[in-house]
Amino acid sequence: MNDFVIHAASYLGPEGFGNDQTSLRAWPSPLKENLARGELDGLHWSLLSDSDPSRFLRMDLMCRLGFMAAELLAVNFDAMSDARRDRLGVCAESFTGSLDTDIRFAQTPRPSIFAYTLPSTVVGEICIRFRLKGPVLSLISPATNGANAIAEAVEWLRDGDAEMALCLGIEAMNGSTANSVSLPENLLSRDWHGAALLLGHSENSPREKPFVSGALAEVCRKLCSCRNPLAKSIR
Amino acid sequence: MGASLETAVNESAAAIAGCGSVSATGLGLEPLQSAVAANASALQRREFVIGKTSQSIVAGFVPDEIVEQLRAADSAHADSRAFLFAAAALKQAAKNAGRILDSVPAARRGFVLSTTKANIEALDKLVRRQSVSAVAQRQIQPAFLAADLAEQLDCRGPVQCVSAACISGLSALQQGAAIIRRGLADAVFVAGVDIISQFVLSGFNSLKSFDPEGCRPFDKSRIGLSLGEGAAAIVLVKRKLLSSSATLLSGCGTSNDANHLTGPSRDGSGLALAIRRALAKAGIAADEIDYVNAHGTGTPYNDNMESLALRSVFGDRVPPFSSNKGIFGHTLGAAGVLETVLCVAALENNLLPGTPRLRERDPVAPDSLLAKPRTATKLDCVLKINCGFGGTNAALVLEREAP
Repeated sequence: MNDFVIHAASYLGPEGFGNDQTSLRAWPSPLKENLARGELDGLHWSLLSDSDPSRFLRMDLMCRLGFMAAELLAVNFDAMSDARRDRLGVCAESFTGSLDTDIRFAQTPRPSIFAYTLPSTVVGEICIRFRLKGPVLSLISPATNGANAIAEAVEWLRDGDAEMALCLGIEAMNGSTANSVSLPENLLSRDWHGAALLLGHSENSPREKPFVSGALAEVCRKLCSCRNPLAKSIR
Repeated sequence: MGASLETAVNESAAAIAGCGSVSATGLGLEPLQSAVAANASALQRREFVIGKTSQSIVAGFVPDEIVEQLRAADSAHADSRAFLFAAAALKQAAKNAGRILDSVPAARRGFVLSTTKANIEALDKLVRRQSVSAVAQRQIQPAFLAADLAEQLDCRGPVQCVSAACISGLSALQQGAAIIRRGLADAVFVAGVDIISQFVLSGFNSLKSFDPEGCRPFDKSRIGLSLGEGAAAIVLVKRKLLSSSATLLSGCGTSNDANHLTGPSRDGSGLALAIRRALAKAGIAADEIDYVNAHGTGTPYNDNMESLALRSVFGDRVPPFSSNKGIFGHTLGAAGVLETVLCVAALENNLLPGTPRLRERDPVAPDSLLAKPRTATKLDCVLKINCGFGGTNAALVLEREAP
């Protein structure tokens, strides 16, 4: 039962977007240049899918990044049985959390964005989209690599709390939002990304050849190697 | 299960060694327990300017004299009420735990913070170009608030920060128990904190969530919630550190409705799933639960959903249950920890809390709803439940060991 595998992995960040089945694809210009500067308004569902974007349009930046990362996993959640989705946990980890939306709400309170002033809302959005019923967890951590989310998910699998687990590492901060208020720089992450891993046991993989468990360490290593200058500010 | 394995499981279980709180009832456990015993509400009416209009809000505010007392004792954090409240609750919990903590070195002490918005009022002030201290700005970030509290407690073991809407507190307790069970620490401080701010008032006001007269959980004519503020703290220790019988965190479960962002599922199935998961983790049957401490916000949808979830899990034998939000309001990220502190007190005092401000029970609510406090004939297992934005649900089972 301790034979854990990565069923699927996805990533979107300044360098591009992709999943474990595709190479990283670069963003089209001029979006690419905007994203490199941390201006993220141009990130849109239509870059990934031609399905109905109405839900996406209501979301804040953090949810959009998490939602796109989950969609990019290239695993057909919809094809899973209800029983399997009931046993699929979601664990999200972030440093900046909902701060981008918090700043915008503090400047102009609007009911439509209040629900997005929580870093756990992305978990709710993904659960609604894929009809996942948990367990659920949302962590705020000083390091932005998502390693704690992975560690918790492994424990869920080990303890039998979940059959599979979707781990998310998300940093979402629009440069223009960050510059609109005089917050200390160490509260802001300029290193934006959305990363997702689907973990499970080897026997329940939707893939013919799932990654071996060593790949987990490899992905963690890559995620951890994303430089995070903010971590230094923690005493 | 063999006897030796059973012993090993129990020894690594998380037991409650101490509790502390700051709420609308005041500083410490005594005023909180007095309010429970008297079935009294500490909600108050204050005037706020929200947007451009003045509004009268009924909520559970930490009394001004308590805030001033805490500020006077820690001027470095004078404009970070989130830190002051959490630090005060933690200090009491550590004192309440007593000498047991002396045997736990700093490297074996963990800390888990539960909050939805940390010191968010500093962001309100920055946006309005008001002066804010550097430390108050830093503690807008929940992870930094957690790091600062852990440092003050000299916790050098694992530190986590859970921000999961209104189930944050129960999630944090679950994480604290897991840290002990996994052998990563021998003691874990779990604190929940949130403050009433312009930010939070504006949000709930814009959603028209407030009852202008104050919340009335499970009442037939309830129309909304009342916010609360404050902090609560619980010291969890490895079971084997305690020599006498203890209260154990014996199981926790979470779930998602996968239904709606700001409203609960109509049928209570998501919450029922979390309760069943908690019972399964605790290894107990539904009919072993002696009391349920409900989320009970006072909104029509939430309380209706909870009633249906309780009926789904317990059938026509729903245990006595109550909501305490009429005492101190909905304290958001502090709620799970604060209400668990009340459950621990109930187990210790054999007194089931009532539902203050209830006038007439909603017929949808099971008739085991406790309007007033009642001495328990048997009280060994308690179920604590919370639900939140994003369709999240959590349930926690507390078990009192036989003396």
